[in-house]
Amino acid sequence: MSDWTLCIDFGTAYSKAAVAPTGAWSRFDPASVRPLMLSADGQNTFLLDSAVFVDEDRVLFGRAALNEADAQADNKRAALRSFKTLLSVSDLDRALNTNAPATIDPHRVFQMRDLIVLYLAYLLASIERAITADPILAQGGTFSRRYAAPAWRSGDSAGMHDVIVRLFGEAEAFRTAVGKRLLSPDGLSLRAISEALPKAMERAEALEMGLIFEATAAAAYTSVGLEGSGSHMIVVDMGAGTTDIAALARLGPRTIELPEARVTLKQAGDFIDRVIANRVLESAKWAKRQDERTELWSVLMRQMGDIKEAVMADGRATLRNQGRSITLSFRDMEKDEDFREFEKSLRQAYDHALAVVRDDARARGRSDVQAIAVGGGASTPFIQALIRRKMESTRPRVIPRPATPDWAHAREFRGNLAPVFAQLAIAIGGALAPDSMLAARSGISPPANDRSGIPVERD
Amino acid sequence: MSAGDKKSKSKKSAARKRAAQGVSLTDALAEAAWSEADAALAQALADFDEADTADGKAARKDAMARLGQALSRAGRKRGLARVGELDEEVDFDAEAYDLNAAVAKTPKTVRIQARGVTRGGEMLAKPRVAPVDRNKRS
Repeated sequence: MSDWTLCIDFGTAYSKAAVAPTGAWSRFDPASVRPLMLSADGQNTFLLDSAVFVDEDRVLFGRAALNEADAQADNKRAALRSFKTLLSVSDLDRALNTNAPATIDPHRVFQMRDLIVLYLAYLLASIERAITADPILAQGGTFSRRYAAPAWRSGDSAGMHDVIVRLFGEAEAFRTAVGKRLLSPDGLSLRAISEALPKAMERAEALEMGLIFEATAAAAYTSVGLEGSGSHMIVVDMGAGTTDIAALARLGPRTIELPEARVTLKQAGDFIDRVIANRVLESAKWAKRQDERTELWSVLMRQMGDIKEAVMADGRATLRNQGRSITLSFRDMEKDEDFREFEKSLRQAYDHALAVVRDDARARGRSDVQAIAVGGGASTPFIQALIRRKMESTRPRVIPRPATPDWAHAREFRGNLAPVFAQLAIAIGGALAPDSMLAARSGISPPANDRSGIPVERD
Repeated sequence: MSAGDKKSKSKKSAARKRAAQGVSLTDALAEAAWSEADAALAQALADFDEADTADGKAARKDAMARLGQALSRAGRKRGLARVGELDEEVDFDAEAYDLNAAVAKTPKTVRIQARGVTRGGEMLAKPRVAPVDRNKRS
């Protein structure tokens, strides 16, 4: 048995990782949670930019890749980002074997697979560095590894998991071959890569890694300490591209997903951005010419994170363009037909999933269902209203949980974990989760969402 | 020894140095949490100047709206939450509220003039209240 459990959250924009002592979920001590300081630069050392840039004679990673991509943007050059989106496509092998576009690889020597392996090697090297720099983790011990991923919707999660642990295996072999040169801010030369990468890929073995679904990781950090009362959970995860609703049930030592409850909506954070931008454009009557509207659109997109946060948290946002102030309220948003349609679909999807999880809880003689909102949209008023809604029937009770768990406010963190918890939540939850919550334990384990038809028994 | 090896060695010793110095996780978390709050606070300072020097009511109102927005954002980035609702009438409790007026007799009912601020259950600033002026009520 390992001493520590490491979970990697391979994010769209940033990668994060956290470590917790093995068994931490049942013997929980907040101080034992160790988010890893993956990035050597930047003020937020816990976030590692998910980016690769192929330069003239070298490949850059992370923040250096983004900086160089910005510098060369006029030359139609771009960094490769959003690997996570690529990893969730239905025909993953085909996507990985595709040549990277010329904007990303002007030499036309890399397939998407190569670039992902290179980034994963950089990520693994950053994790190694962070563990060495952590005064507690540096003292030694064995680590078991897992990664967090959304529940894939293509139905072939087992195949996907095998491909991903293989990619990590190739990355590990490459990292071993090139060592810490990977972490140089100057990147790695194309020559070093062309010498080491093919050999590393040839001799690589799949890395021993578990898979935890993001919804389950959220359930893990939420249900720490709840033991019996946290047996059933409904998780609403609003990210950038999709809003996913999942239901989980902990049955003795195992956690299963109730597959009939799962619903995915294609509207999420990006959709809200478009609604906001369209409402603002509609109200900005002075912006009549195309160039004025284009300029306003780009201002909106640059500031969208702040605007959206203010609309959701304060009920309105004020921004300035061309010396004019524009105010948008949440009420304005609710007038948008598409948004109203989304709210309606979301309510229906939630009601459906909630009915499934409550039926299961009732059948197993459980009295509570925990409702959890996670992801970038967790604190939006309509998501919070959804999980806090009063039910017509009182049993099983639905108990809304805070987006940031109470333990993140523990004195040990002196008020500093809670503000950044949302960014690190999945990595932390994944590290805390017991093995019974994993969707797959190694490259060959069947994923949890394939386990259906588990008979309902009172336990 | 190659240049790459030298570099690798110096990085290794830097990492060991950080470990030996006991880089505090809470300090790193604080820096991460402050990084975004800093930007919002800087924005608030600039907005304050605009509000302070604004010509006319409308410009001042706009600048104040942006100032409030930037301060709210800074607060959120530091995990602060507001308590109570403006103008809400509540039973007075000296432990829970700061009375924002000199009174001869402790009021029974008060109105929230300024919301309180908490972080993780710890009250950092109590809501400020004033006695309800029955004559002003409609």
